[in-house]
Amino acid sequence: MIRDFIYLKANTVEEALDLIDQHKEDYKVICGGQSLLILMRQGLVAPEHLIDIKSVEELNYIQFDEKEGLRIGATTTHRTVELSPLVLEKFPVLVHMEENLASIQTRNWGTIGGNLCHGDPAGDPGPVFMALNGAVKIASKQKTRTLTLDEFFIDYFETVLEEGEILLEVRLPPIPPRTAVVYEKFNIIKNDQGIISVAASITLNNDGLSCNDARIVIGAAAPAPIRAKETEKLLIGEKISKGLLEKAGEKASEEADPVADIHASEEYRRHLVGVLIKKMVEKAWEQAKAQVK
Amino acid sequence: MTKFNVINTPIHNVDGIAKVTGRAVYTFDVNLPHMLHGKILRSPYPHAKILNIDTSQAEALTGVKAVVTGKDTLGVKQGIWRRYKELCDEEILARDKVCYIGEPVAAVAAVDEDTAEEALDLIEVEYEPLSAVFEPLEAIKEGAPLLHENAERNINVTRHIEWGDVDEAFKQADYVREDWFRCSSQAHVCMETHCAVADYIPEGKLTVWTSTQSHYYIKVLLSDVLGLKENDIRVISRYTGGGFGSKFELDSAQFCSSVLSMKLCKPVKIVLSREEEFMATKRRTPMFYYLRSGVKKDGTFLAKEARVFTEGGAYTAMGATALYLTGFFQSFPYVWPSYRYDGYRVYTNTAPTSAMRGFGAPQATFCAETQIDLIAEELGIDRIDIRRKNAMYADYEVPGQATIQSCGLSECLDRVEEWIKDRGKLPPHHGIGIAAYGFMSGGIFNWFNTPYAFSSAVIQVNVDGKVDLFIGSQDMGQGSNTTMSMICAEELGVRVEDIRLHMGDTDKCPVDLGAWGSRETLMQGNAVKMAAAEAKKQILKYAAAKMSPNIVYDLDIKDRWVHLLARPERGLSYFDVVKEAIRGKEGQPIVARGHYTPHRKGMISPAYSFGVQAVEASVDSDTGKVTLKNCVTAHDCGQVINPLGLQGQLEGAIAMAAGYGFIEDLPMDEGKILNPNLVDYKILRTTEMPETTVMGVTTYEPEGPFGAKEAGEGLTNPTAGALANAVFQATGTSIKELPITPEKILNALRERNKREKK
Amino acid sequence: MEKQVLRITVNSEYHELYIKPKRLLVEVLRDELGLTGTKKGCNTGACHACTVILNGKTVKSCSVLAIQADGGEIKTVEGLASGAELTPLQKSFLDHGAYQCGFCTSGMLLSATALLAENSKPTVEQIKEGIHGNLCRCTGYNSIIRAVKAVTEGKYEEGSQ
Ligand SMILES: Cc1cc2nc3c(=O)[nH]c(=O)nc-3n(C[C@H](O)[C@H](O)[C@H](O)COP(=O)(O)OP(=O)(O)OC[C@H]3O[C@@H](n4cnc5c(N)ncnc54)[C@H](O)[C@@H]3O)c2cc1C
Ligand code: FES
Ligand code: FES
Repeated sequence: MIRDFIYLKANTVEEALDLIDQHKEDYKVICGGQSLLILMRQGLVAPEHLIDIKSVEELNYIQFDEKEGLRIGATTTHRTVELSPLVLEKFPVLVHMEENLASIQTRNWGTIGGNLCHGDPAGDPGPVFMALNGAVKIASKQKTRTLTLDEFFIDYFETVLEEGEILLEVRLPPIPPRTAVVYEKFNIIKNDQGIISVAASITLNNDGLSCNDARIVIGAAAPAPIRAKETEKLLIGEKISKGLLEKAGEKASEEADPVADIHASEEYRRHLVGVLIKKMVEKAWEQAKAQVK
Repeated sequence: MTKFNVINTPIHNVDGIAKVTGRAVYTFDVNLPHMLHGKILRSPYPHAKILNIDTSQAEALTGVKAVVTGKDTLGVKQGIWRRYKELCDEEILARDKVCYIGEPVAAVAAVDEDTAEEALDLIEVEYEPLSAVFEPLEAIKEGAPLLHENAERNINVTRHIEWGDVDEAFKQADYVREDWFRCSSQAHVCMETHCAVADYIPEGKLTVWTSTQSHYYIKVLLSDVLGLKENDIRVISRYTGGGFGSKFELDSAQFCSSVLSMKLCKPVKIVLSREEEFMATKRRTPMFYYLRSGVKKDGTFLAKEARVFTEGGAYTAMGATALYLTGFFQSFPYVWPSYRYDGYRVYTNTAPTSAMRGFGAPQATFCAETQIDLIAEELGIDRIDIRRKNAMYADYEVPGQATIQSCGLSECLDRVEEWIKDRGKLPPHHGIGIAAYGFMSGGIFNWFNTPYAFSSAVIQVNVDGKVDLFIGSQDMGQGSNTTMSMICAEELGVRVEDIRLHMGDTDKCPVDLGAWGSRETLMQGNAVKMAAAEAKKQILKYAAAKMSPNIVYDLDIKDRWVHLLARPERGLSYFDVVKEAIRGKEGQPIVARGHYTPHRKGMISPAYSFGVQAVEASVDSDTGKVTLKNCVTAHDCGQVINPLGLQGQLEGAIAMAAGYGFIEDLPMDEGKILNPNLVDYKILRTTEMPETTVMGVTTYEPEGPFGAKEAGEGLTNPTAGALANAVFQATGTSIKELPITPEKILNALRERNKREKK
Repeated sequence: MEKQVLRITVNSEYHELYIKPKRLLVEVLRDELGLTGTKKGCNTGACHACTVILNGKTVKSCSVLAIQADGGEIKTVEGLASGAELTPLQKSFLDHGAYQCGFCTSGMLLSATALLAENSKPTVEQIKEGIHGNLCRCTGYNSIIRAVKAVTEGKYEEGSQ
């Protein structure tokens, strides 16, 4: 049962921040409510004030600029990202990610900001944005700050957002040359949350053979999406080979810290990390190589 | 002229337009003036004594109208096995002790749902937790905690079936194989959760709208627990949002709303939440299966021995029937010259297990068909050949149990074999598994102790020729409303649109036991056919008088044309004949009755359906993930009534049974179900559904209306086994534990690789 | 708790209601407006039986606060047919047996309606994805997919019957 609350609707960022500031002793922000309403129904969240930012149009945008990269406003829905020709052209991995995220109905109403702020370790955008070296812009009435996504997630359903803050936008720098970014999750029913997910960004050297940079992120394998930094190190400077992929898979499954639940044992999850890492690194590598030619 | 005018023509359901326009009113949609809303407080313990219940705070909450506990009930132990009182073991609201998490303890009626829910938190129940037991193989041990005083070692029911000299036959066998299997539980997941609106009036009469598979059963069961006369209770159920076996026993929404309404003389509505639906309604029976089979070198079956321990949960429910049917169908659809079955249903501190589509047979078929493939592999015999060699056939008698009158199994095997051949060479990591199956067309059992015929129907033909058809059967989506309208139209010689169907109301409709055990087509169908034949006879009497044909001629009606059978062009309009006939009867409409109760049809069912299914799946060797590609079924359901309905039943069954095979399960921790929601409990979605092909194999079943038999539940039987066999074909490993998850497959592959390395 | 005004247009009819802000859209449609064709199978955003079209897009009415739909235009299953004239999808659902118990049917129809509004010639894969969220326990989906496909093949165009 949802407890009663005072409903306050913001139409602008300024209004939102003011409302939050006024009610900071007991409030919750709602955007699409796809995640929040479930918690409210279970009585796990019962704010006195519910501040609705869904209609804050100034945060509903997708913009691209060759220097700054892509900026997605927090109230942009998943579906808008999915159907954006701009995103398809510049960051196709996001379209692929969105197409496999929940149902159309959820994507029609749920937002990018809400997804990130919900802090679900099995969420899809988090790992992909991390692999893309993304950042988030956060504001409160008092201050605005920008953080990398690597810094954003802290624990199960916990982010660095402090009281009074909202997320304004996600920033994704332009994808460097000779770079490919790919993402996949493993699930039994398509579009379900991943039992394990892996995002990989591989940048090759000019030779088109050896790895210049790698960003590897694993979702649903720890209390928050994690960078597999040891695995990245292992790849950088190397040329692709079966042995390398094998080692990367092994390393990443060591780096992961999954727990067992009804959907999979810890051991099986580790195994999946290995499988997906091999697959994703190889796929990104090949796509990056294709760009060099 | 074709043989049939109506039957075997695909038509849309008679209630279809109401369903696609949103006008169909389900119980979930019933709202009455001054209606209150109820909620149920459930036990958080798997096993505990109730020391005290304090409802005072809840009662004091503004908006709360009544709180009831076990003290407000008659304390009757109820159950569907009414002929066997010791198996009626479930109180509607627990008085002294609770035996599973989710057992109803109290109920609240309030002005709205939120208030009722808030009140639940204010009811204070003092429990004394007792030690509990969750697994049947633990519960049956000496010294395990006991759930019920009269059930030693927690044994609830046992079943023994035996024919032939089993021990001797095993001695004759060239090859004997034994295996253990484990079959998981499954939730019905009807899209409409259990719900009821009860309205008791001071005159002493109770009306209950409810989502049910049998309004007759619910009426009688309510009368048992409420102390009202059966016919002071009216149960209405026009549309039911799915049943699958979960809605023919008395459920908590029904009795709690009734008890509250009787206390308040106001309508009370209770809709179970999806979570309650998972935790506290019944579910498919998990089974531990031991199978030993003895065969000759050439694959001839000689002897089979089966032992089963089922997880009963806290109460008997319909579980005793599942125990019997799993034993019976374990021998299906083959000729086993000797067979011995011992089944034990064991009480455990878990939610009761009961009937679910297939009623014990999907479990049996999974184990049996998996083992047959292993036997065939060992002996180097083709898997179709071994099945064909031992297949049941028309007029076969299952010793002491049943006579099979019609059986198209061999033809089904031929058709599926052809399909597999046509499919040709498969891509790597693909496999096609097959499973053969059979099922009953309605049970002969009368544990309910009804004094009525199993099915009845009443027909009234009105002056304009339009027909009122009153049936007791319940349409929960399987299409029986349409089937009955078609049977009536065919027999009477009119069109489906001439029929106005009356169903789902115990005040207006004759008794039928309900939609379970795939009984409607055959049993209700026979009753409808009999009533229609009787009405037709009356009409033809008038026609004969009017046409005064040569006495050697027979009259008939087809497509609204009353005519001489031998000279169809000589006839009269059906409408004209009816008009005059009624005039001639002093204005009395033509009324006829029909009924059906099986007699001398063995122990189980008057007729059996048969079929063979092939499932093509691919297995990802890295992850163990299974993808279903094709599912091809040759099904012998006698004479098809509505081809569209048959296809729908078949495809729906595949989705449900494939789910049972590879994803659906109810894992528990200390009796608590861990996935009581539709995010964590997975069911197939569009993208997981394989291509489906239905090949109808027509036989004529003498006992069925127009030769028809079941096509509903039986179709759930083969898929898990066929899937297991597909995985076996694709990977060489056989998984004997449901559901066949990627993780289990992967582990099995690793084991095999390890073995091979050694 | 203070009730608030809600102005919505449902199936082309304008309504002004006073509701508690915690009311979900599904509750307002069913309980306030009596549009019980919209069903609820889980109330937790998973089954999609409660799908309606809000401002041209499908949403789960159990997962949207009614107040968030303020000023919006909603289509429910009751708004599909005009009088006795069913939509092509409704006709095709009938002909293909794309429903059994019917409890998921409203949601399915609305998902399919929105799908075809966006893409009048979807492939089978796109149809599957378009209705992917909607659970059906009865049909096994294939009849629904066939029904949608038949509409895209023009079998139910005006006058073609
Ligand atoms: C059935 C189902 C399946 C799903 N499957 C997936 C999946 O496969 N992958 C996946 O990634 N996600 C999945 N989700 C989750 C969903 O995609 C997102 O969590 C959702 O889109 C969140 O967006 P929202 O706008 O609805 O957020 P809300 O529910 O409104 O908010 C979520 C949280 O974020 C906070 N919040 C929202 N916006 C802001 C902001 N701008 N600043 C600060 N805090 C804010 C809220 O206070 C709340 O705590 C699924 C959800 C459901 C219901
Ligand atoms: S009721 Fe299930 S998603 Fe809304
Ligand atoms: S028709 Fe019953 S759930 Fe879809």
